[in-house]
Amino acid sequence: MIDRHVLRRVSPVLWEIPQTHRADMRVPARIFASEKMLNEVFRDRSLGQLINVSTLPGILKAALVMPDVHEGYGFPIGGVAAMSYPDGVISPGGIGYDINCGVRLLRSSLTFDDVNHRQGLLASRLFQEIPSGVGHGGILKLFDRQLDEVLAKGALWMVEQGYGRDEDLSHLESKGSLENADHHVVSDHAKQRGKDQLGTIGAGNHFVEVDRIVEIFDGRMASSFGLSLNQIVVLVHCGSRGLGHQVATDYIRIMLNALAKYNITLPDRELACAPLSSREGTDYFNAMAAAANFAWANRQLITWEVRNVWQELFSESLTTLYDVAHNIAKIEEHDIDGEVKKVIVHRKGATRAFGPAHSELIAEYRETGQPVIIPGSMGTASYVLAGTTEGMKESFGSSCHGAGRRMSRHQAKRQVSGKTLKVNLEEQGVFIQAGSIKGLAEEAPLAYKDIHDVVDVVVEAGIAKKVARLKPVVVIKG
Amino acid sequence: MVHILLEICTDQNNMRTFRIIAHTADVRVKVAASSLEELFTVSLEGMNQILKRNFCKRKNGLPSTIHQIEISSADTTALLIDFLSEALTLSHIHGAIFCQVEFAELAAHSLTANLLGTQVKSFDEDIKAVSYHEAEIERNSRGNLQTNLVFDI
Repeated sequence: MIDRHVLRRVSPVLWEIPQTHRADMRVPARIFASEKMLNEVFRDRSLGQLINVSTLPGILKAALVMPDVHEGYGFPIGGVAAMSYPDGVISPGGIGYDINCGVRLLRSSLTFDDVNHRQGLLASRLFQEIPSGVGHGGILKLFDRQLDEVLAKGALWMVEQGYGRDEDLSHLESKGSLENADHHVVSDHAKQRGKDQLGTIGAGNHFVEVDRIVEIFDGRMASSFGLSLNQIVVLVHCGSRGLGHQVATDYIRIMLNALAKYNITLPDRELACAPLSSREGTDYFNAMAAAANFAWANRQLITWEVRNVWQELFSESLTTLYDVAHNIAKIEEHDIDGEVKKVIVHRKGATRAFGPAHSELIAEYRETGQPVIIPGSMGTASYVLAGTTEGMKESFGSSCHGAGRRMSRHQAKRQVSGKTLKVNLEEQGVFIQAGSIKGLAEEAPLAYKDIHDVVDVVVEAGIAKKVARLKPVVVIKG
Repeated sequence: MVHILLEICTDQNNMRTFRIIAHTADVRVKVAASSLEELFTVSLEGMNQILKRNFCKRKNGLPSTIHQIEISSADTTALLIDFLSEALTLSHIHGAIFCQVEFAELAAHSLTANLLGTQVKSFDEDIKAVSYHEAEIERNSRGNLQTNLVFDI
């Protein structure tokens, strides 16, 4: 376990473990956290994992974690690391098993008064329309050729089939499609696992949620984002389902078997990696992109399912604010010691948060910075933030992704009854439809860190700005 | 940290156990056995117990699906994880629980085996993946082989 005295305070919300702490560290390790949150950080092995990340070949500047950090596999969750391009390593553990787990925010023109007293019906219809839960398949049964097209095109494929609009695409990170995706390097096992799962949210901490905007922090930015007080919005949180999980599994194994070839030794198998320029590294990156495209297609089809219900109940449609990935690797340009360089940025439980004027942003967001959607734990709050110029320097344009778990699923079930939780939340005005009462208890708010503390840290660190706070009205879970 | 003792199966010469233990986001199982083949078998039992509680303890009739698998890995611990991953993948693809395994060959770095399974309508838990996290096969003080297994759910 790491001793607290090893940490050097850089600012009230930034701490550093110097490179000299361990002989194999190539860069320092940096933690975005308040002093109050540090106690929780020390409860698990996430700092040790962060130090291990700092040993990876080609890593630049610092290994980072966001304030929602908790122990993961290899990389901690909340981790951000940038490697030199093209010969630095790419590591599936730096992205996670659920490739492109992410969240989309849809805007309505309704206010809370328009949905009040109809929450039960809304919850019921959304639960009926959106497949959820363990092992439940979706409405699309694809032929192999069609699945390959989804892997190549992502959300675009869904729009081409009539499950969305062109303007959806421009409001998705990377327009919902990574060009380097290659379905040939996705295994048959992965395709078999994923082929009937499009349009499904799965289980665990994934959800579709109807929220009310309860606080506006920056009126000008909120207006640019099309957000206003009391407005009703919808969040969709899910990823690449079994296809992405299998891609990660396949390539961790491939890279473990190839470590000796590249003279790589690792403190942790889950850090399995290969140079991006190698066959294994390139194949993984292109398979990861295919899985990411699958996830964007998934969220696009779920958007269509939500829109069906919305049209039926309210005779209106929903527009897309933005869609962010929080488990992904990207080739980006960042300032490294005064020089702009191409790097391989790993974000695992961390969200891209590009600042104003970034060339990748659509014109609509060039002045404000990129919308950053941060879902809180069930029944608490979520936030819409905006990326900052400071964040580009401090965190490779990255922010937190959510509240971060602080308690095991089993402990949560021992402390909370799913039935009681549902009743309590409904008394607070949160209507829940869940496929599993046990699963509900596992996702109780007490199992997560305080989202307000997490967001306050990223704001104080200057890596994102608050735009709006949301409270849930209806929650759909598997 | 909460420990749940799920099953102990002992006889004079052969002890094999698994326990499911709390882990922050996922499920951890501690497995122990007197031989490598037993370790692989009880690990599969532990995973199946998470996938569908007590399914393999019931009389489920003859297996409805059989798959041959061949795996080579960098070391024995990786071989165990890769074996469980393959069984998990086949469970997801075929909607089945593979309660039985017959090893044709099990060496330090490779195996050939048949997995015999029964179709199920649903799983209790969606195991996304079998991680290498905390996995390290070693001999315990009783001379048995043991390791932790962590499942991403």
